[in-house]
Amino acid sequence: MIKTKKRNGSISLHAEYGRPGVNVLDLLDELDIDVLVDATPTNLIDGEPSYTYIRKALVSRLHVVTVNKGPLALALPALKELAQHKDVILKFSGSVGGGLPVIEFARQCARGDKIVKIEGVLNGTTNYIISRMEDGLEFDVALREAKEKGYAEKDPSLDIKGLDTAAKLVILANEILGIKATLINVSIKGIEKLSRKEINEAIRDGETYRLIGRVDSGLEVKPTRIRREDPLAIRYSMNAVSFTTMNSGVHVILGRGAGGRETATAILRDLIEIKKKLIEVKI
Amino acid sequence: MRLVMKFGGTSLGDGGRIKNAAKLVKEYLENNEVIVVCSAMAGVTDTLFALIDKASRGRVRDVEITLSNLSDKHYRAVDDALNDELIKNDVKSIVKELIEDLRRAVLSILYLREATPRSRDYVVSFGERLSTRIMWGALTELGTTCKYLDGGDAGIITDSNFGEASPLMEISKLEVKRRVGSLLDRGITPIITGYIAVNEEGVITTLGRGGSDYTATILGYCLDADEVWLWSDVDGLMTADPRIVKDAKVLSTVSFNEAIEMAIFGAKGLHPRALEPAMKSNMKVRIRNTFNPSHQGTLISLKPEKSDMIVKAVLLVKDAAMISVRGASMVGRPGTVAKILETLARENINVMMISQSVSESSVSIVIKRDVLTKALNKLETALLGTGLVEDIESEDDVNVIAVVGEGMKGTPGVASRVFGAVAKKGINIRMIAQGSSELNISFVVREEDGYEAVRAIHEEYKL
Repeated sequence: MIKTKKRNGSISLHAEYGRPGVNVLDLLDELDIDVLVDATPTNLIDGEPSYTYIRKALVSRLHVVTVNKGPLALALPALKELAQHKDVILKFSGSVGGGLPVIEFARQCARGDKIVKIEGVLNGTTNYIISRMEDGLEFDVALREAKEKGYAEKDPSLDIKGLDTAAKLVILANEILGIKATLINVSIKGIEKLSRKEINEAIRDGETYRLIGRVDSGLEVKPTRIRREDPLAIRYSMNAVSFTTMNSGVHVILGRGAGGRETATAILRDLIEIKKKLIEVKI
Repeated sequence: MRLVMKFGGTSLGDGGRIKNAAKLVKEYLENNEVIVVCSAMAGVTDTLFALIDKASRGRVRDVEITLSNLSDKHYRAVDDALNDELIKNDVKSIVKELIEDLRRAVLSILYLREATPRSRDYVVSFGERLSTRIMWGALTELGTTCKYLDGGDAGIITDSNFGEASPLMEISKLEVKRRVGSLLDRGITPIITGYIAVNEEGVITTLGRGGSDYTATILGYCLDADEVWLWSDVDGLMTADPRIVKDAKVLSTVSFNEAIEMAIFGAKGLHPRALEPAMKSNMKVRIRNTFNPSHQGTLISLKPEKSDMIVKAVLLVKDAAMISVRGASMVGRPGTVAKILETLARENINVMMISQSVSESSVSIVIKRDVLTKALNKLETALLGTGLVEDIESEDDVNVIAVVGEGMKGTPGVASRVFGAVAKKGINIRMIAQGSSELNISFVVREEDGYEAVRAIHEEYKL
């Protein structure tokens, strides 16, 4: 399966199991399945085709695991409502922080307490670029390097303009704070205008810049100056999220964000979670 | 401003009125974005329900007559509402197609002698679908770029509780934004059927009686409208029914909570659930009169300007009946009230009021008069044999009076003033209930005293 994907670019070309050109929606009708795992690429314009797939799956009472931020950022309140109405489970832990169990961690923080603010470095690409700029590289050079190392996509504008961070922020706001927000509710500023001069000035004052997504009363993404010893001042392609609680202080989770292996782990985690819930119901 | 304007059935009662409503829309379109919501023409929804009834009983001739009356009514409305021959022909051919669809649906009920909740919703949806098409013609004739949409096409999605469906608000918000929002962005005025929607599989559902108000506030919520205007044939919510109290006045502002209380107690022109979406998004709702458009109507909002009115309105619910259940063995025995309510709920009987003394030896409930016999039968079967209850009594000649006002909260002496005013007229009070919200005091009097009690309180508070 993996060989086919690597060689031909699509598992639909697999000699034995492949069905080239098959329509996913027809497949959902045709097959007797319990869960849809959606790993389609992110589209932040209209969330398609993933949105249509997920919606169809939920309406047909399938559980859904998705790592696609598009439909979540644009329609999470709606999809959650539909899942609840149809009494099925919608999981998407791989959409934020990749293999990092951010949402699980937040749940633990909120137990017996209340989370009042979430701040995070949620995008590895931009964090890598800023880190390399701290090392003395120009923006363009750092970007090229990020591409060469495989951190950045061919078209890195979603990362650089802050849209990827914003999408993840929306997911956290909905899932953890219960704020019914979508992408249009986020005020977004990317790192495209961040200059080395600004970074150097910050470093002189013992500070630095990070592209931080923040949600408390509103949702905002912008390059933010923070102390260098701040836990969010992690370097290179790391992710970090801090949860400010009402009573038990600030909790931070950090680690490597996205990557194929990490995201696959998150999918597995969600599948196990669904299985666990189904067993509970049976008892 | 972005306005949702809903026109009630009377405001669209004939061709001339539809034309008039279109003119009102046109007037406000100069400075606002308007989303138009139409009820069915007056009487049409009732006719459609009657039609289903006749069809399921196999009355072929009745069905044919009713269908042809319905079609005449709408053709006449088209003729009266429109002048332009081209548009008129357009609308007529659309109406013709709809009537054909309706006929087919009704015929299938006629053959099967059976109407399911789902097929009922489909049939009654034609009322709104017809009226929006005529409204579309009238607005087009006035030079407006507009488009008609059925509730489902507009993106209103509900659960599958046919006949009384509940909207899935977030999914609807997303869909309505996509569909209606894009029309507004292009400067097109949407004209949307009230009352009807679809479930998530795309099957037509309805939002229950008075559901057009609900459609309007759902659309307002989904589109972040500034205000929702409910146009009907009354100037607004009133301090009392003007047929009872001659100098009853229109209230210029009320809070959502007050309006909900008043709607539940039957104040004309409002559906109680309709206010939920508006409350959630803090959107203003205005009740206005198409027959008196210069009147500002009643403004319903979250926090109306401070008013020194303690009591806002006195309402009367006629045709009520009271049942009292008595028995010494009910004392200290949990579950008696539950049993009473459960018995009634199983029969789909709605309990309007309930009151129990601390001694627990008697419980009184108020229900609609037309279900009294059914309720008594069921309660007697369920309770009398058990030894729990000694006696079940009923009175079928009572009225409920509700005194509503947010100013009552925390104001001492309201009850004494209310009941004092009633006592002064020599009227006996049979039963009293007040919720802890203190928004509303309700009490029961004999039918013959109903009007007099309303007048007494109205006068006492100089409403």
